[in-house]
Amino acid sequence: MRPRAVVAAFKQQAIHFISDPQWIIPSILSPLLFTAVMLMLYRDLTGPVVLQAVLGGGVLGMWANTLFSSSYSISFDRYNGTLEPLLLSPSEITDIVAGRALWNALIGLSNALLVFLVSELVFHTEVSLLDPVMFFLTLVLTLVSLAVIGILLSTAFVLSRMGSVVASMAEYPIYVLSGALVPITILPSGLQYISYALPPTWGVDAVKLAAVEGYQSMMGADMLVDIAMVILLTVLYFLIARFLLKRIERRILETGSSTVY
Amino acid sequence: MEDEHANAYAITADGLTRSFGRGPGEKTAVDGITFRVRRGQIFGILGPNGAGKTTTVKMLSTLLLPTSGRATVLGVDLSDHKAGRMLRSRINTVSGGERGLYYRLSGRQNLQFFADLYGIPKRDQKTLIDGLLDMVGLSDAADMKVENYSRGMKQRIHIARALVNSPEVLFLDEPTVGLDPEISRQIRALVRRLADGGTTVVLTTHYMYEAEELCEETIIISRGRIVGSGTVGDIKGIVSESTVVRVVTDADPLPAAESVRTYPGVRRVSVQSVGGRFDVRIDTDGEDGASMRHIEDRFREYGIRSIGYDEPTLEDAYLRLVEGEP
Ligand SMILES: Nc1ncnc2c1ncn2[C@@H]1O[C@H](COP(=O)(O)OP(=O)(O)OP(=O)(O)O)[C@@H](O)[C@H]1O
Ligand SMILES: [Mg+2]
Repeated sequence: MRPRAVVAAFKQQAIHFISDPQWIIPSILSPLLFTAVMLMLYRDLTGPVVLQAVLGGGVLGMWANTLFSSSYSISFDRYNGTLEPLLLSPSEITDIVAGRALWNALIGLSNALLVFLVSELVFHTEVSLLDPVMFFLTLVLTLVSLAVIGILLSTAFVLSRMGSVVASMAEYPIYVLSGALVPITILPSGLQYISYALPPTWGVDAVKLAAVEGYQSMMGADMLVDIAMVILLTVLYFLIARFLLKRIERRILETGSSTVY
Repeated sequence: MEDEHANAYAITADGLTRSFGRGPGEKTAVDGITFRVRRGQIFGILGPNGAGKTTTVKMLSTLLLPTSGRATVLGVDLSDHKAGRMLRSRINTVSGGERGLYYRLSGRQNLQFFADLYGIPKRDQKTLIDGLLDMVGLSDAADMKVENYSRGMKQRIHIARALVNSPEVLFLDEPTVGLDPEISRQIRALVRRLADGGTTVVLTTHYMYEAEELCEETIIISRGRIVGSGTVGDIKGIVSESTVVRVVTDADPLPAAESVRTYPGVRRVSVQSVGGRFDVRIDTDGEDGASMRHIEDRFREYGIRSIGYDEPTLEDAYLRLVEGEP
């Protein structure tokens, strides 16, 4: 890996993001709308339930953003004609995709914070965070774990013409499976196992532990286990994504084309 | 194993072959080509559409693995994918056309991005990039977004992009396609300067004058095979014994053209109508078969404006080779 290439891709993504206002819809408006609806539904409730709604909106913001910007990463270059110059350079494609995913994650984080701010100022939710420092830290971890899923999905886009379908289908399941919306214990047990295999599940659990007084971990985990699991799974997902990206490159060199199916 | 000529040759290709697809749909785009490119040379690859030029360039620039045969670039064997990766910091490619840039980035930002990918130290980047922008004449437009560039500007920033790593071997795949003559001329001058500075340049082109002006040696490929090679002089030599007779007439000389076509030694006759006149071109094997007098007699009734001999050009040789005539 080449840190300079990661930073360069981060900057390139930032410039593209800023000069293209269409991203405002998935990355800013939709999570805000979602939170507003939730808060209106739970208008009469207070405390943890409201916090749950706000957290849900925040995670949605982070996820939708990561999903829709990171997963298009390589497809964009293929369409734009820049995939060849990228492949021609000595940097790894993973560096480029990772740099972009980090920018997208940063935007995701500011979305989440925006959701909190709007809930405070507009809806006067007055939620108090149990441990603000830990809350912020676990939020960042969750975000990185979502970014890694974005990188992984970017390979689906290249490997299959069905990539965009896969990404669209992934929007809501992750949201449900990660426990951001409802406790995963209410999911059928088969689905719960999928939840445990997803890094953000542990991240969201850690965020709730840090935020909500008296919150009981769904996995019976404590903060340390949660954090260890996010990190472990995130690294694992990253390695899988990197492996797949290398396979994709190899595939392009062998077949002269990046689509397999 | 190092090639014993590794020092003399920037590129060697031996029976280099590339097919696409499998089974009955298999297509051999490059079919066993063998050639050598000396260091510091400008080497031309000529050939009609679909001949396999781009496929050859992609193989040599590590973007496509050969199906069979062997090729080395700067002594590195290209069938070794890992070794090929190491080569990437020492070569670069420019493809003609407008794609392949980040349009929302300025020209300078594009160059910075790629300089970062090549691991050029930040402290060296400013001098390098300013130098490149100046070299391609884009200093004034450096901070403009590429989406607002004209086609010629995009092509020049492409070239600057391909020079960020100061490549030892530069591949140019139709670098002047679709550009106006003045910009094409500037690009050719730039290529010449690069070669003078020691860069090995491999150039594919459809323009014979471009090859004639720049290339010390060329290969001509057609349907994936080499049909001619050597210096521009060597290739012209193929048609040196032949002569082109040009006749301009007032009336359409089609019947005369038809009969001249059957004369011994006549290879080809073509008639073009140009502004009310008729421009006849007769390719002959030499002056004996169809002497000027014979031809003059045959065309007289159509009103001869002018008649004369032309030297065969590289284009004539190219056409003869590509069309596979003896
Ligand atoms: N990825 C690919 N898959 C299948 N066929 C391919 C692929 N790339 C090239 N070809 C085929 O290989 C042949 C040679 O193509 P190539 O692009 O090398 O020609 P070229 O000489 O560069 O032509 P042009 O002058 O039009 O650029 C063509 O018939 C083309 O259709
Ligand atoms: Mg081509």
